[in-house]
Amino acid sequence: MSVLSAIIFLPILTAIFLFFVNLHITLVKIVYMISTLVVAYLALNLYIDFDASSSMQFIEQHAWISQYGIEYHVGVDGVSLGIVMMNALLMPLVAIALYKQRDKRGYWINLLFVQGGIMGAVLALDLMLFYLFWELMLLPIFFMIGLFGYGKSNFISMKFNMYTIFGSLMMLISILYMAVEHKEQFGFYSFALDELKNITLTTTESLLVFSGFMIAFGIKIPIFPFHTWLSDTYRSAPMGIVIVMSALMAKLGTYAIWRFLFTLLNETSQELAPYFIWIGLFGLIYFGISAITQTHLKRMFALSSASHLSLIVVGFFIYNSYGLIGSSYFIVAHALSSAALFLMVAMMYERVQTYTIDSLGGIAKFAPLFALFFAFFALSIVGVPFTAGFVAEVLIILGAFEYDTLIGFFAATSLLIPMLFMFKTISKVLYGETNERTKNFQDLRSHELLAVIPLALLILAMGIFPNYFIKKIEPTAKAFVDKKEAVYHE
Amino acid sequence: MSNEFIALAVPALLLFSAIFILLFGFSSHYTKNRGYFITLATLFIAFIISANGVGTKYSILILPDIFNSMVVYDTFSATFISLFLLGGFLTLAIAKSFVDKTNFFTHESFVLLLFSLFGMVVLTMANELLTAFIALEIASMSVYILVGLNKNSLKASEAFFKYLLLGSFSASFYLLGMMLIYAQAKSTNLDVIAEYILHTELHSQLLIIAGSMLIMITIMFKIAAVPFGAWVLDVYEGASLPITAYMAGVFKIAIFAFVLRLFLKDYITFDAIYDPLIIGGALVTMFVGSLLAVIQQSVKKMLAASSVVHSGYILIAFASIGEATSSAASAIMFYLFAYFISAIGAFGVLSYISKGSDKAINYDDLDGLAKTRPIIAAALTIFMLSLAGFPSTIGFIGKFYILTSAIEAGYTFLAFFGVLSAFVSIYYYFKVVMHLYFKEAGHVEVHYGYKVSLAFIVLSGVVVLWGGVGTSLLLDIPGINALNELSRYSIESLGF
Repeated sequence: MSVLSAIIFLPILTAIFLFFVNLHITLVKIVYMISTLVVAYLALNLYIDFDASSSMQFIEQHAWISQYGIEYHVGVDGVSLGIVMMNALLMPLVAIALYKQRDKRGYWINLLFVQGGIMGAVLALDLMLFYLFWELMLLPIFFMIGLFGYGKSNFISMKFNMYTIFGSLMMLISILYMAVEHKEQFGFYSFALDELKNITLTTTESLLVFSGFMIAFGIKIPIFPFHTWLSDTYRSAPMGIVIVMSALMAKLGTYAIWRFLFTLLNETSQELAPYFIWIGLFGLIYFGISAITQTHLKRMFALSSASHLSLIVVGFFIYNSYGLIGSSYFIVAHALSSAALFLMVAMMYERVQTYTIDSLGGIAKFAPLFALFFAFFALSIVGVPFTAGFVAEVLIILGAFEYDTLIGFFAATSLLIPMLFMFKTISKVLYGETNERTKNFQDLRSHELLAVIPLALLILAMGIFPNYFIKKIEPTAKAFVDKKEAVYHE
Repeated sequence: MSNEFIALAVPALLLFSAIFILLFGFSSHYTKNRGYFITLATLFIAFIISANGVGTKYSILILPDIFNSMVVYDTFSATFISLFLLGGFLTLAIAKSFVDKTNFFTHESFVLLLFSLFGMVVLTMANELLTAFIALEIASMSVYILVGLNKNSLKASEAFFKYLLLGSFSASFYLLGMMLIYAQAKSTNLDVIAEYILHTELHSQLLIIAGSMLIMITIMFKIAAVPFGAWVLDVYEGASLPITAYMAGVFKIAIFAFVLRLFLKDYITFDAIYDPLIIGGALVTMFVGSLLAVIQQSVKKMLAASSVVHSGYILIAFASIGEATSSAASAIMFYLFAYFISAIGAFGVLSYISKGSDKAINYDDLDGLAKTRPIIAAALTIFMLSLAGFPSTIGFIGKFYILTSAIEAGYTFLAFFGVLSAFVSIYYYFKVVMHLYFKEAGHVEVHYGYKVSLAFIVLSGVVVLWGGVGTSLLLDIPGINALNELSRYSIESLGF
């Protein structure tokens, strides 16, 4: 069993173990910590062992359902490595920051489960395996919202569930269609990514198959117009799952576009790329403006997340190495910043019991450390220089200019919108008038510091020494761009 | 054990045991417990015997001189027979507390259960229309009475009467159809008919086509396909829970087993004529079934309605049989395995928590079960996920095969509708999960009775999961691949 399998299945097995063995809640948290730390250690080793000069590595392959050629096939490359690292890193930090707030076994069990599911979906190179994990990670989110959510959580968890499963089922039909086509063209069933990319489809077929995939990914990210589940779900979901959704699950959607659509339907993707660039740009502006009007912090950050994710989609669809490296860098950078920011919001909620921006104010006076980190993370999200987001945004904008000046111009200018609401939020929440709720605001405690300092350091490191991190992505990007050139010159 | 011995021993064992209980029931030594355990033991032994016949590929006519080639024992029937026996065993084992707490499980009920299983066993082996009809009626008659077991319940009596009346009425179509076929082909033997169809021009076999159509009406009635399945909600609701489980999990599969044989041997030649009908039937069945399932308030009725939807999925594969024979046929087999274990589990959990009470279990009755009985709630969740076709359960693999075979046959739109109704099914199945986990407990903690029943529920849950991910990489237990091979051998033993 390779390290990748261990990373995928350790959290899932731990979750199952915790479900069946009725431990005391303290023990549950300890087991959770041990499991996530082991995963983090394994992921760190993976990162160190990752050979920066080649693309797909650590491949593990076994027959699973042999009659249909379905395999257990996992591997990691530069782009997926980033998400794996984030997943491994964020899970223990979430627990460090929130362990005092949550005393239900189910909370931790589901978090472990979702970690395993995301790892599986990121690393899978067989479409059926990918589909399995893609659906599997939904389940813990469904349970988390229903069990620990706020407001009309039953309705919202059901809505989220139906919404995303609808997308998945559309993708399932596309996958099956491709597999059957593969059988007809090559004589045997296969669901492997490397095999399925060889089939030829007519224009109509490939458009339909593309839409099937795109609906699934578009809903997960979400891109306009599949975003109607977003703000309710983020508002209702408990913080652990909000972090998972914004920092990891949504990124998985963008990653899947790149990994599956660009590999399987390269030509169709390139033909449709302009549309998605415009949809992405529109989403960037639309979600940004919606975020400005929000008064609920979670909703605002949810929409701001969506706005940045649209930028990631743009980065992938501009189809050059700047765009790709920028987007995959932004996946990591945004995961760090948004997770950190949502953690701060959770700590704030614990103290003041509200998410409404208007009922906050003057926190900086009583809690300088909190204010420092809050402002830092908020600024890192909008991409202030020396933070990771800056590097990523610059790369994407460079790519956009290389692709088309107009699009570059739009991408660059629309990045101002997040600044608007972030600065507004910072000034309102941290400075502004003190009121009843905020006057006893307690500064960060040591365990909370322990959780946010690594994130802050990493964001700084990625902003100041980007080369060290980018070199792991480069071979993947190069392979990708070479392939694209090959298509052009055919 | 020779295959011939198995083929004779299993029905004989069922029959003798039934007659034994029938007589023993009048003795003063008889107690309900004894009757129950004798039945359980019979089913278990019969299952062990018949399981010996599964796995290799063969097909033999049983005593062709005596029975005139009317019954055939092949891998196909061996597999299905084992499935029925296992199903009967599981239903009964899970229903232990239900049987104990109610007073209408008299010795006749065990006798009827065994008789109905005998009928199903013969039905799967039948290679001839008349034998099949008789076997079908033996099974049906027993099930009619089982539905009406609870004499004191008005609903059960209504269900019994409705089912009996409609069932007998629909059976007459079968007789008429068989007569028409006989009039032209001069035989009721499936092989002879197949031979005749093959060597006669299509436009001169009107009687056979019409006759087959009439037979199809009866079949559609029995599998509760729309528009012939109007009885299903009332009957499933009126019958007591173990019987509902038995009907949904075992009896329906027996019908499908016979239909599969009939289709592969005879109907397949008329593929072009029947396909539009079956496609239409599948679409309407899925649509109406989903609609019915969505509006139900009681979980039992929801499961009943959703069993209609599952019939619809299987009809998709039947429509694909002409173009993608082997994959569609083995997809049907696999789907039947999947539905069998999930339905038995789901109804079993309901009968386990209803404790023999007569009332329908509403969604609200499940509230907060996850807190008081986490294992049961988890098991029911697994069954719901499997019925909904969620990955990592056997139900997903079943759907996967059916949809793949439909696309392979060129019916992508049919697969698409299948996916749409699977999407709708997410709603009503997850509603159960929602009530289990998200609602506050409305009832006090109660003791539900037997650990053995619980053990079998958990076992079914494990099988559902293993059937969804099982591979020899992890444990050397037959998993997806083995089941796949089993269904392929079974289909091949029919001569395909």
